[in-house]
Amino acid sequence: MPDFTHVLIASHGTPGAQAAEQSALAWCRTGGRLSHLVVVPDLWSGMMGDDWLNNASTRDTYGKYVEGELQREIDLHVERLRAQTAAAGITYEYKVMFGKPTACLLEYERERTPDLVVIGTPRPKGQLGLRSRMHPERLGGELMAPLLVIPYPR
Amino acid sequence: MVYTQRTPWTLIMGVIMVAYAYLVQSGTLAAFIKYLGTGRHVGEMVALGYIFGGIAIVIGLWQLLAKTAEGHVDYYLSTVGGVIFIMLIAFVVKWVLDPQMAQWGRAARPALGFNFASVMNLNYVVMGIIAGIVTVNVFKVPSWAENGVRLSRLGLKTGVILLGTLYSFAELQQLGKLSVVLIGVFVLGSVGLVLWWGARRNLPNSMTGVLSAGVGVCGVSAAVAAAPVVQAKSTEIAYTIGTILLFGVICMFVFPIAGKALGMGYITFGAWAGTGILNSAQVAGAALAFQPEGIETLKVAEIFNITRVLFLPIIVIWLAIWYVKREVGAQKVDVGQVLISKFPVFVIGFILLFLLSSTGIFAPARHYQGSYFDNSDKVMIKKDRAGKEINNYLKDADLDLLKKDAAKVKRDDQKAALQRLIENKKLMSIEDDDTLRGVVNAKILSKEGNAVLVKAHRAVRHTAPKIAKFRDLIAWFFTFGLVGLGMQITLASIKQAGGQPLVVGSVVGVIKAVGSLIVVMVFVHETI
Repeated sequence: MPDFTHVLIASHGTPGAQAAEQSALAWCRTGGRLSHLVVVPDLWSGMMGDDWLNNASTRDTYGKYVEGELQREIDLHVERLRAQTAAAGITYEYKVMFGKPTACLLEYERERTPDLVVIGTPRPKGQLGLRSRMHPERLGGELMAPLLVIPYPR
Repeated sequence: MVYTQRTPWTLIMGVIMVAYAYLVQSGTLAAFIKYLGTGRHVGEMVALGYIFGGIAIVIGLWQLLAKTAEGHVDYYLSTVGGVIFIMLIAFVVKWVLDPQMAQWGRAARPALGFNFASVMNLNYVVMGIIAGIVTVNVFKVPSWAENGVRLSRLGLKTGVILLGTLYSFAELQQLGKLSVVLIGVFVLGSVGLVLWWGARRNLPNSMTGVLSAGVGVCGVSAAVAAAPVVQAKSTEIAYTIGTILLFGVICMFVFPIAGKALGMGYITFGAWAGTGILNSAQVAGAALAFQPEGIETLKVAEIFNITRVLFLPIIVIWLAIWYVKREVGAQKVDVGQVLISKFPVFVIGFILLFLLSSTGIFAPARHYQGSYFDNSDKVMIKKDRAGKEINNYLKDADLDLLKKDAAKVKRDDQKAALQRLIENKKLMSIEDDDTLRGVVNAKILSKEGNAVLVKAHRAVRHTAPKIAKFRDLIAWFFTFGLVGLGMQITLASIKQAGGQPLVVGSVVGVIKAVGSLIVVMVFVHETI
């Protein structure tokens, strides 16, 4: 298996993303660097919907609660990957970005210039999760580094 | 932080509005207005065009030229661009798209066999909401308009508060009782059903909790209020809100179509929409879609909306206690704090305006409550502007039609009211008018006979000009609010509808809609 010095992984903790993380770890050489991108999809900006009845304090409580929930989930995810990279002797860094997943990945790749980009495949039908996905076709055309798409674990 | 953005758009929109008002006022657009048949709106086109256009030009120039500094003034002025943006869309929809769609509907009737614009209620309210949804999902709300778009909530709340002036004590008392019973049964029933079903399907308590609030009480607003209390996970919130938004948007189209197909009146439809539609924002939308040229349906529906929101703190406390019992380590809730923090303050404004208007401080009390009754000769025989006499008494041909249809009326009170109408050639009392409205709604007489009853009704029911303008103002607040709320319904959030919340929410939502329809049709009468 060829190994890379600097691998970029975009993942968000789902089974498909975790499979991609394992591949990224396997493809990154010991002493190398893993740059981890966590995207908070911009669909969350519409998650107060058309609420109009609540007063400001209720909306504020809700906003802080949702932010806290997302942060907690990201923290758990990051800590898990940090432990795995430490065990493999890989330097770990992560970045949380808000926006469209594909656009965020392209921006982060330009910023970090990795040797390899790893993502999971879109979730198969029937699997639960947020409907927000990467577009491999666009990534293939615009990424500078090779793109590795890991199949969903069966 | 400085909120005001240096943009030319506020100024440009202001110039467009003022130019339009000027062109209408000068008669340059007379042919266009005649083609669209919007002559009755000329007054508001000129007034609103100059008012909003003038404000936009002044603020637009300030945004472009003045040096902005942090502070409250900066924040408030940063909202003007968004408000003007919504109003411009509302103007286009109300004065151009609405009449144009009505014309297309009529033109397509021979080919389709029905008037699609009328059947699908493609009026300015529905199209305004669609315009908002299209704006946010296709073009994106411009960043300089975001603060103003958020003000749409204030527009809706202000509309509800002003609506407080249009109720009589009797109306409020009867609608209040009816809404407490219906909302009580269906809100508590659907919350209970979701909690029970969620447990049967082994759904997480947090998911069941947030879903029950959303499906049971007032949609997204209830989900927003309940999510932190039941410690809902992020995906559970996304599923629930996506499901409610999807269901709400569908209901906004389906309810008015079904209401018209079933021949529902203002009260029965308002009661049904106010109980059966999951999301409270779409209740106002459906009521105005059902009756775009009046606010009687909205008046009924909003009482139900207010009752729902008064139930919200109670449901949140119920869910909090329910959750604490089931989850180890869940935080206990401070009941007093929940009651205070979740209390809808705008309802106090509604009650205050209702009380103030009841004292006659704004206008004679009878002028407020819908159309007031007057069958005196002064109003039955009038002169038009040219001095020609207009006699509103029923003609012999009208009376012949009624006599021919009289045998179809079976109820004694309806028979007596019809007889008095035939004898006097005009309606003799509010009670007779109300009784015969029931005959019209039930379509007991022939089409021609019904038309005579409607004519007799219009002859004795009058709206004070001041109140008519006030109602228009309220309708504009709701239009502003609904277009702005449309801009907050993203397809990305609707797409999250899925999983168990979609199954449970859809089933309970349909049960609630159909159940409330049956109850309203059987037990609610068209007169209050």
